[in-house]
Amino acid sequence: MTTATLARRGRIYVLEARYQFLMVLREPAFAIPTLLFPLMFYLFFGVVMGGRGFSAAAPTYMLATYSVFGVMGPSLFGFGAGLAMERDSGVLLLKRTTPMPAAAYLLAKVGMAFAFGAAVVLGIFLTGAHGAGVVLYRWQWFALSGVVLAGVIPFCALGLAVGAWSKSRAAVAITNLVFLPMAMLSGLWIPITMFPAALQDFANVLPAYHHAQLALKVIAMDGGQATALHVAVLAVQSIAFLIVAAVGFRRAESGAVSIRPGGMS
Amino acid sequence: MNTENRTVPRSVWVLLVAVVGFFAALATLPVPGDAAAPEQEAPEESFAIVDVTLFDGEAFRRNQDVWVEDGRVRRVGAKLRLPEDLPRVDGRGHTLLPGFIDGHVHTFGGTLGDALRFGVTSVLDQFTDSGLLAGARTARDDIARTAEADLFSAGMLATAPGGHGTQFGLRVEPLTGPEGAAAWVRARKAEGSDWIKIVSEDGAAYRGEIPSLERETIAALIAAAHAEGLLAVVHVSDLEAAREAVSLGADGLVHTWFDAALSEEDARSFARTGVFVVPTLSVIMGLFGDSTGLRVLDETDESLVSPMQRQTLSNRFEMPEGPDSEVALENVRRLHAAGVRIVAGTDAPNPGTATGLSMHGELRLLARAGMESHEVLAAATSVAADAFAVPERGRIAEGYIADLVLVRGDVEEDVTRTADIVTIWKDGYPVVRETAATAVSPEIPPAPDGPVVVDFEDGLDSGFGFGWQVTTDAMNGGASTADLTVEEGALVVRGETRTGFAFPWAGAIWFLGDQPMQAVDFSGRSVLRFRTRGDGRSYTVMLFGAGAAATVPPTVPFVAGPEWAVVEIPLESFATADPSIIAALAFVAQAPLGSFAFELDDVEIR
Repeated sequence: MTTATLARRGRIYVLEARYQFLMVLREPAFAIPTLLFPLMFYLFFGVVMGGRGFSAAAPTYMLATYSVFGVMGPSLFGFGAGLAMERDSGVLLLKRTTPMPAAAYLLAKVGMAFAFGAAVVLGIFLTGAHGAGVVLYRWQWFALSGVVLAGVIPFCALGLAVGAWSKSRAAVAITNLVFLPMAMLSGLWIPITMFPAALQDFANVLPAYHHAQLALKVIAMDGGQATALHVAVLAVQSIAFLIVAAVGFRRAESGAVSIRPGGMS
Repeated sequence: MNTENRTVPRSVWVLLVAVVGFFAALATLPVPGDAAAPEQEAPEESFAIVDVTLFDGEAFRRNQDVWVEDGRVRRVGAKLRLPEDLPRVDGRGHTLLPGFIDGHVHTFGGTLGDALRFGVTSVLDQFTDSGLLAGARTARDDIARTAEADLFSAGMLATAPGGHGTQFGLRVEPLTGPEGAAAWVRARKAEGSDWIKIVSEDGAAYRGEIPSLERETIAALIAAAHAEGLLAVVHVSDLEAAREAVSLGADGLVHTWFDAALSEEDARSFARTGVFVVPTLSVIMGLFGDSTGLRVLDETDESLVSPMQRQTLSNRFEMPEGPDSEVALENVRRLHAAGVRIVAGTDAPNPGTATGLSMHGELRLLARAGMESHEVLAAATSVAADAFAVPERGRIAEGYIADLVLVRGDVEEDVTRTADIVTIWKDGYPVVRETAATAVSPEIPPAPDGPVVVDFEDGLDSGFGFGWQVTTDAMNGGASTADLTVEEGALVVRGETRTGFAFPWAGAIWFLGDQPMQAVDFSGRSVLRFRTRGDGRSYTVMLFGAGAAATVPPTVPFVAGPEWAVVEIPLESFATADPSIIAALAFVAQAPLGSFAFELDDVEIR
């Protein structure tokens, strides 16, 4: 019986992931910007402008930072905005009436972020390699993709926290308010070293900064802080985001925030 | 049951394929060494390159074999009958070119090596230390393994007292009038000059004014050169000077000009005289901040670029507003269209250029000025050799010296491919392209006993080592600037750190070796001591060891306050520094961005 139950369990997880994936694919408003924007940004700032405006190393440096940027998008929007909308439209409530474990829903969302993140990373890597002549050791290509994709976890946690506390109509706007300034201030668009000292110090509170530094470490272009520091900050922040998210959900369940369907109509 | 079992595996399959595809795609990404695919070692002295696209100096020919024997080209043709045991290089997919001839360089330090490592197998020097000439003749007549390009040179240049060419510290005997011309030319011929170089430069094109040779003196020099059987070439930088030089019978002009475009009528009359022009677009475009060399640098493996190449590329001339680089290009376009011979030349290692490397940029600039691939390449080979009467070079033909450059791909289609070099042969021997900095360093000369002191009483010439130079992040593509002057016996460093490079810097660097970045042994010394004052900013001393290009230099900060103060830094404060190998000390401003000014004096290592 255990195998049969396990198989059924597994099937629920896979099906949920599959339907989430299909849903996202059929939602070009999400898929196209999250896939194409980081790529276009990298193409413009890293490849076209990079060689002349910054330095010969710019395409390589920005390969790492725009990959981090690319992974942030699907993690934050898939979770933050996506969850808030599904909750307010009642889809989430519907799902919770089914025997599907809540974890299947969450895992499907994380898997989605991974899949989109991987697609963006691959796109940026191929662009850098073939458009700007970026050359890395093979272990660096693999390690960089791994480090960058691991960023899905803290950013999903952040997305979850934002989604738990915002209403669907505001969710996209609020997520953008987190996403764009954080990307900018973490040095994902232009190297952090070009910022005034005060802003460079401020970046230390941003998860994207620490994640970008880890990615840059793989290609030996980071600012020289300890790996352990970046990992620790990311771990602590991830846990903090999850707690914030849990509190937010509890509040929603207790009725402070409407989880009923049709709130808008 | 069936549907149940199918749905799950299909999704899992899709996932598996996606994951495998992701990793497979990662595995295809370029890694170091891909560009230099494992090829067999290049053969030397006697060998054949078979089935290659050949540029023979004048035209492209497909599917050719080139047979090299004892350092010279023995035969060229399609499907040659070659000895069975002759080593062969597969030329398919490659283009074989004659070694390039740079029609305008200045030779000092390691420039001949830098030239050769980028396929410039001969240089036509337009002003250098005449003491180099005798040795250059011996070296170029010897068909043997060498690490340097062949040097042909004007030696000393002819200029007015205080005129252009006197500012570099090289020995110059200025001319005050036409009466000294004949003796002057005979002295050059005796020293070993291959031709005569005359400066006609009043500074007008640069919005300045400097003494220049009179028309009569230029005429007398040209006549004297011709009487001695030597060519006479003239430095010009404005249209008026160009017209005058051509009317006086100059054989060549060694720059184009950018103050005004010449008329088509002028161009035709130039063509009728048979004069040739070495436009040196590399240095001229560099004046306008458009260094084509920097673009070549981007495409070049770091291990091939010497510190000096990097440094000279990053240097900039200050250029007044007004003139237009398009005028320089337009002049080349019109000269070429009228049939005036164009010789490729860079004027390296002047600011914005690098010896050897910039040649590949010059070719692109000539192409931009409307020349076709075969015309561009001829300008850098056969036309250059013919114009300056350089024998046995500039072509791939029977009896010619085997100075060859094998590049990847089809150069006829895309002239930028010349920089993608597979092998260079000089005198039939393959050239080691890596710079000395990356190789095991040779023995390091000891510093003289006692403290080494620079007091700047005699100007910028430090009296020790290669001396003081500007260093900025421009070598990494940054936009910071610096300027060095000596005022009242102290070094004044002014500049501005600007955004552009991720880690901006600008300031002064003291090269302690006889060559830039050559290390000196300072064993037993323990302190760097200097006096400084300035705007109150914090500055940084960087210490460069040997092979410094590869490592991050250790740094120590200091503050330059309003009053003169002595700064003492124990050498051991430079983490990772080894006093037995110190190549250079840099005194630079970094963050915060903005303009800065500080002074240095009595810099000593003790």
